[in-house]
Formats: sequence, structure tokens, C-alpha cells
Amino acid sequence: MSTPLAELSSLLARYYARPDPLPGGQFIDFDLRVSRPVGLRRWVRPQVQFEVDSVRPFEPHPLENAFPMFEWGLNWCIATSAHRHMMLHAGIVAFDDRAMILPGTPGSGKSTLSAALQLRGARLLSDEFGLVRPERIDLLPMPRGIPLKNASIEAILEFAPDADLGPTYPNTRKGRIRHLRPQQFSRDRQDRPATPRWLVFPKYRAGAPEQLRRLDKIEAFRQLAFNCFNYRLLGGVAFQAVTELINSVDCYTFQFSRLSRAVEQLQALAADREPGSG
Amino acid sequence: MMNLLVRFLREPAIVRDWDMAAWNAFVPLARSARLLGRCAYLVEQHGLHAVVPPALLDQMRGALAQTRYVQVQAQRELRHVARLMAREHIPLAALKGVAYLVARLPPCQWRNLSDIDVLVPQQDIARAERALLNAGWQPSGDFDDYDRHYYREWMHEVPPMRHPARETEVDLHHNLAPPVSRVSIDAARLWEAMVEVEAAPGLKLSVLGPADMLLHNAVHLFMNDELRGGLRDVVDFRDLYEHFLGADAGFEQALLARADRLDCGLPLYYAVSTATRLCGLQPGAAVIEALARFAPAAPVDRLMRWLIEQALAPDRLGLRVTGLAHQALYIRSHWVRMPLPMLLRHLVRKWLKRRQPQASIADTPG
Repeated sequence: MSTPLAELSSLLARYYARPDPLPGGQFIDFDLRVSRPVGLRRWVRPQVQFEVDSVRPFEPHPLENAFPMFEWGLNWCIATSAHRHMMLHAGIVAFDDRAMILPGTPGSGKSTLSAALQLRGARLLSDEFGLVRPERIDLLPMPRGIPLKNASIEAILEFAPDADLGPTYPNTRKGRIRHLRPQQFSRDRQDRPATPRWLVFPKYRAGAPEQLRRLDKIEAFRQLAFNCFNYRLLGGVAFQAVTELINSVDCYTFQFSRLSRAVEQLQALAADREPGSG
Repeated sequence: MMNLLVRFLREPAIVRDWDMAAWNAFVPLARSARLLGRCAYLVEQHGLHAVVPPALLDQMRGALAQTRYVQVQAQRELRHVARLMAREHIPLAALKGVAYLVARLPPCQWRNLSDIDVLVPQQDIARAERALLNAGWQPSGDFDDYDRHYYREWMHEVPPMRHPARETEVDLHHNLAPPVSRVSIDAARLWEAMVEVEAAPGLKLSVLGPADMLLHNAVHLFMNDELRGGLRDVVDFRDLYEHFLGADAGFEQALLARADRLDCGLPLYYAVSTATRLCGLQPGAAVIEALARFAPAAPVDRLMRWLIEQALAPDRLGLRVTGLAHQALYIRSHWVRMPLPMLLRHLVRKWLKRRQPQASIADTPG
């Protein structure tokens, strides 16, 4: 990744720098570049563009949104090419290398829950991509900044006032955004896969009481397949992988509204103190 | 010659000497040429697994998984089209990528494709298009009156169509090259040499005869206005050439005779010389000698070689000279297929309606 934008560089260092500098001779999956287009837009409402393989897949964005644009661009690179893995649309956290998978469509609260759980000591693997190696059914970590959106920014700040949040991006295509920086603990273990143990489908409902319910495995299969980016593309491989994954986890649905209560319940679940469900 | 992808295609064992910087220069070239899957097969064939970075093997496997998927989609689409054409009693031939698949030719193991190209006799094309539209296919883009006029009057195909329930675009042709172009092919002769294949048990259709298939590839390279990723077509050319030659020692002579008959000597010259330089094709001496008479004047030949190399095998991506070479070849591709006044009108028109980015940030995960 290269960029002439100083502010973006320092954000990248903050979110991605490893304590041990990468040894020389590291393989580069994608050579990315984020820069300002030439021309009039250099001065008038300046813009920024994302480039991979010297192609610009997106319209330029306002300069102030360079970091969110980089993050989305990187997600696009992964989503369009990482088909060697099964890609779940899910937040993933781990307790002692045992993973809790939180699949969900936007608005389900998976990012917020992943963020909150990692702020209480769970290891963050990802807030967005559950990368499953189909032949081993384990999950590969990708601890990056969690883009908290709109009201979930305040929810996290209320939950953890000292949360390490990045700058506010008030106007992006997906609303107001601040990125939660993953804790060092998670980043230090980013080369360490985790084994699926719990599958929890979260559903945020304002004002609703927390309810963790066992989910029938066939229904869990249907919902997990639905939340898999490349299920159709991988065909039989994905069918097999989802089947094996479902068979190796306990499945739940989880309705929640109060973040601290929700985190307590999921922590209790992870400690194998299964709370009585409603 | 510096392009690492080309060096790998010509001599895969060369990667034993590569350091990580070389691999990192290689990956964007292979990915943007849509040749990661082809490279995966070369790695396997030459026993090079141990020297390829594991993360790159993952990328290759990912690319192959994606390829398998689009191949299934493409063959399904072809079956839909073939059933409909059978009902309408319109002869149908598969072209290019989907033809390699349905005829089980060597590129089928790794060949990516984004649409299916099919051919019907010229007198049936209006009926074929109507049949597709009546059966639910729709124009797959916003074509204005000019675009429609351009297709109808000047091109060898109708505006691409897509069925709303499926993803694969259908390009319906009545010839391999625009009728107004400098390479004009008598399509009736193609139908005489067709080979019958099955898209499904009992569902028959045709593919071009071996020589015609290579000539189509050559004409396509010679007149294609979208050369990005054109190196893949050159690789197809080499793979098919070697396959047909392996099956029939007289293939090269047949190819030359057919090029004469269809008046495709010049495109074949370019294709053979490009595949030789960029992909390590080794044509027989008789072919080189016979094609020499089609070669353009030496300065033009040198310029074309240079342009094709800059466009198809740049040292790295994003070079300004690559863009210029693409533009020059783009204009040339139109030059060979349109009379001048029409060409100027068309280029101005296309420049005014330049292509928009493919993806939207709003649809990205996160």
C-alpha cells in the first residue's frame, strides 16, 4: 500500500503497523495505491481515488474520506478474490482460540457486538469477514479497524468510554463512521487461526430484552449459507464446509438491545455457563 | 523482454531463480491478465509448488474456484440458448471460451469467461434475436439509438443480451468480423467446416473447425478493441495450436490453406508471431516461411510488435506507454474494421461516453 497522503499514512501506521516490522521479502497480495486525482479537483472539492492493479474500480471520493475509502477498497479486493476461502459475512471473536461466529447483514449488530466483546478481552479475528479454510474448518484472523456506524459509535463509547476510536467521518456513503482500533492482544495473534465453537446470529432490536435461544441446525445451515459471500461460487465446497462447521458448533439466535447485558450473556456462553434462555 | 508473466509463460522453471520482489512484480500482471488459473496449471505441470509463495498458491486456487463457477454458469447459459435455437430450427455454434469448454479443449481447465459468444447464420440472426427476447432475455445495457444503429448496420453481432434470472451475457454473432472491415470472412464457409458437439446429452450444437477456431482467435486479437487481458487470448492460441498439432501432424498445412481460403493471412501472421514472442509457441519452419509474405512492411511490423508488447506485456502495470499503446491499437482496431468517416464519428461518440467505474463503494462489505 502506498499513498502520498500524510494523514492517511499515519492512520495506516496506527491501524496496521506490527510491533515486529515485516521482514524483507514479504509476499504482497495486493499492491494498493490511494492518491489524489490530477486536474481541477486538486483544488476544488478535492478528491481521493483507490487503485489496485493500476485499475480504479470506484468513483473518486471526497478527500476527507480517504481512510474509509481505503478500508472499503481493501474489502472489495478480498471479497472479489479470496475464493480459496469460504467467506462468511460475520464478526468473529475468539476465547482461547475457540471462535464465536456472529453472522449478520448490515444493521444486525455484528460489528458492534464484535467490538464490544473485544473491548472486554475477547480476541478479535474480524468484524466483517469470517475466512474459513474449507479443508480444515478453521478461521483465519484479520484484525482490522472496526467501522462503527452512526448510533453504534455512541453505544460503544457509552459501553467503554476509553475505547480507542479514530477520527470521525461524518459524511460517507454509509453514514457517519469511526474506526475502533483493535487491541494489541488481537493484533499480536493475527497469524493464529481459531476453531469454531459457537454460532450466534445477532439481531439488534431497540428496547427488546436480551434473548439467547438455541437454533435448530438445519435453520442455522440455511442462515449461515445465506450469510456466506461466496456460497454459490464455491458450490459443493461451501456446502460441505458449512455442513461441517454447523456440526462442530452450538447454534443460537440472539436478540439484544443493551450492549453490556449482551456482552455479559455471550461471555457467560463462552465460559460454558449457558444462561437460561427466555 | 522484461515482463515476468511472459517469461514465466515461456519458461516456467525460471521461477526457481525468483526472489520475493520478482513474485511481487509478477502477481499484478498475472491477475490483471486473468491468467492466475493458467499459471496454477503450469506450476503443477512443472512441479514448482515448493518454490511458489503459499499466499500466491492461495490466490491461484481462489482464481480457479471463481473460474469453475463462471464456467458452470456459461455452460448453463449455453444450454438455455441451444434449446431455444433447436426449437426454432436455427443452427447454433459456440465461439471462443464457451466453445473450448463445450468441446473439452485444453483451455477449458483454467479459462475464465464473462460472457458467451455464439454464432448463427446471417439470415437467421434477426429471428434468433427475436426468439431470445421473446423468451425473456433482455438487452444487457442501456443502448441508445446510436449504439443500436452501430450494432445493426456495422457490426457482426447484435447488442448483448442477458436473462434477468441469470448472470451470463450472451453475445449473438453472425460472423467473426464486421462485414465492413478489411478482414471480411465469408461466414457460409465457416458453417461448412463446423464440428458437432453436445451441450448436454442429445443437445447438439457446433463449434468452429480447428483451423477456423484459431483463425477466429487471430482475427479477434487483430481487431479487438478491448486488449486489456488480451494476453489470455494469445495463451489460448498457443494452447489450441499445440493441441491441434498434437492431434494431427498435418494441422499447420491445413491452417495455412484455410487462412488463404478465408483471407485471414495477416491476422494469422500477427497471431503466430505474437504467440511465438510472448508465449513460446514454436511454429514449424514452413509456417513461418508461408506467413512471411503476409507480414506488413518492416517499419509497420516493428511498430506493431512494439505496440502489442506494450499493450499485452508491459513491464509493470500502470505505465503511461501501456495506455498509449492501448489507444493506438484501439484506434487501429477500428481503422481495420470501419471506413474512415464512420470511424471518426464513432470514436468521438465513444470518447463522449467513456466507461464508468465497475463497482460501487456502497456495495462493498463493511
